[in-house]
Amino acid sequence: MKKSFGEITFEVFNYTILILLATTMILPLLQLLAVSFSSPIAADSKQVFLWPVGFTLDTWNHILQNGVLWRSFGVTVYVTVVGTLLSMLFTVLTAFPLSRRDFMLRKPIMFAIVITMIFNAPMIPFFLTVRELGLMNSLWALIIPALISTFNMIIVRTFFMGVPSGLDDAAKIDGCNDFRLLFQIYLPLSKPVLATISLFYAVGYWNIFQTAVLFIRDPKLYPLQLRLREYFQAPEELAAVDLIMNELAFNTTTLKAATIIFATVPIVLVYPYLQKYFVKGAVLGSLKD
Amino acid sequence: MSQVNTEMKGHTKLVVPKKEKSLLRNMKKNWMLYVMIVPGVLYYIILKYIPLMGTVIAFQDYQIFNGILASPWVGLQNFIFLFSYQDFYNVLRNTILIAFYQLIFGFPAPIILALLFNEIRIKFLKKSVQSLFYLPHFLSWVIVGGIVFELLSSQGVVNAVREWLGLETILFMQKESYFRSIVVLSSIWKNVGWGTIIYLAAITSINPNLYEAAVIDGANRWKQVKHITLPLMFPTILVLFLLNIGNFLELGFDQIYNLLTPMTYSVGDIIETYVYRAGVLQGQYSLTTAIGLFQSLVGFTLLYIFNRLARKTEQGLW
Repeated sequence: MKKSFGEITFEVFNYTILILLATTMILPLLQLLAVSFSSPIAADSKQVFLWPVGFTLDTWNHILQNGVLWRSFGVTVYVTVVGTLLSMLFTVLTAFPLSRRDFMLRKPIMFAIVITMIFNAPMIPFFLTVRELGLMNSLWALIIPALISTFNMIIVRTFFMGVPSGLDDAAKIDGCNDFRLLFQIYLPLSKPVLATISLFYAVGYWNIFQTAVLFIRDPKLYPLQLRLREYFQAPEELAAVDLIMNELAFNTTTLKAATIIFATVPIVLVYPYLQKYFVKGAVLGSLKD
Repeated sequence: MSQVNTEMKGHTKLVVPKKEKSLLRNMKKNWMLYVMIVPGVLYYIILKYIPLMGTVIAFQDYQIFNGILASPWVGLQNFIFLFSYQDFYNVLRNTILIAFYQLIFGFPAPIILALLFNEIRIKFLKKSVQSLFYLPHFLSWVIVGGIVFELLSSQGVVNAVREWLGLETILFMQKESYFRSIVVLSSIWKNVGWGTIIYLAAITSINPNLYEAAVIDGANRWKQVKHITLPLMFPTILVLFLLNIGNFLELGFDQIYNLLTPMTYSVGDIIETYVYRAGVLQGQYSLTTAIGLFQSLVGFTLLYIFNRLARKTEQGLW
């Protein structure tokens, strides 16, 4: 079929605008990457666009030797790993009974859970409750409140409900109890959905910010996001040397750029996986509606 | 309860009601399921329901040493104080304005983008463009805030381009007049790509025969969008709109907190950032809980109103 003139104009326009907009999603990062490899003079005199000017590794040398930054990185890795594992356990253990027809409290509990999606507690009562639990300045404050995401739990539950019931009967005849049924039959069958959900949790823990602002006051326990925030507020701390006397080839502009890239790299590295599974998960979630 | 009742009547036989009996039997038979649900139930009670009940301190003069049980009740005094307090109006105005702009500009953006994506006929191009658009969703607001500050700083690339064009340098992040636009634009930048996924799923589920029939009837692409795609996307749009309006005043602490500077408080301080400062940092627990409750009530009222309106045309959330 031949395309009309109007259609061709539209296509050219559509492709151009979408490609242009798509590049704006990555250009800021590329620009900061270029700044992080540039000399401070070039960076401060607005010469750097997408290619380093006055190439230097000094900024990165300084950043990668920053023990405080690595410490926060470690805290975030710890919270992400422990948090994701526990979240998966809690989510699966909650979703399974709620997916079983022979569990009599299924409906009332499900109802009570959905209620919490509509009526969310305000910030202060939440803050006071977690503080009462004694979690102030504890990394558990980052994990425990995020243990179950109702959205994720419902996705898993929906998936469990779709498993053919013939499997259960066969397993029950073989004398399989509910725990074994869940861990040896249902979980292996749900690998794709579990992969998706664990990524949802992992990204959530990696980027956790508000709960850290509320509960983590001890700088030694700062997760990465909180440390970044502190550095953006007071970039002199990043330098940790007297910049006026400084003979080194970096300054706060290049350091901030490098810190942003430093924090972005892990996400970008796992991005292909993230994208693949996340899109699936988001569609799963939307079908639920 | 009913057991006690039957006992009090004295003469009647002690009958365990049928439902409880079968629940007990169910528990005995499927006790493992009941064990499994315990951690989840504890989670929802401790981290959702207890804070929810803790909202009653909005009607108290909550003192940390007395706790909820011993703190004096003050009725609506906190609310009365709020509405006679100039700062609150300022914060409320900022919140409503930003929320309104987000709704007007931020809500339709992914719908339009999804329609444009759908018109890409080259598969490879569609995939790569989508991948790029999804990326910012995975960055935290701390990072996005950092990027925004760097790009808009006096040495940033935006001012570099301005200089190149012969324009003077502007300190965007310190100017009140730019703050709300920056909030709306950065939030579109971060969320627009991700937001398309749900709409694209809705578009994919449309029966292709409809388009074929439309082509035979001589409908061009625009007419196909207008008469097929959009009407069939409408239920999805409506559901998302209702979910959005339900937390109209909840703008997200992370974004504003990371973009705000003392220079822009007058236009950018919103309920969440104010509650954090006055509540968490300064300990005005009851007052800020009252603000939080007010915020939820506004969201719920809006949801109720729009859901009623929605039910007149389509179906609502309930």
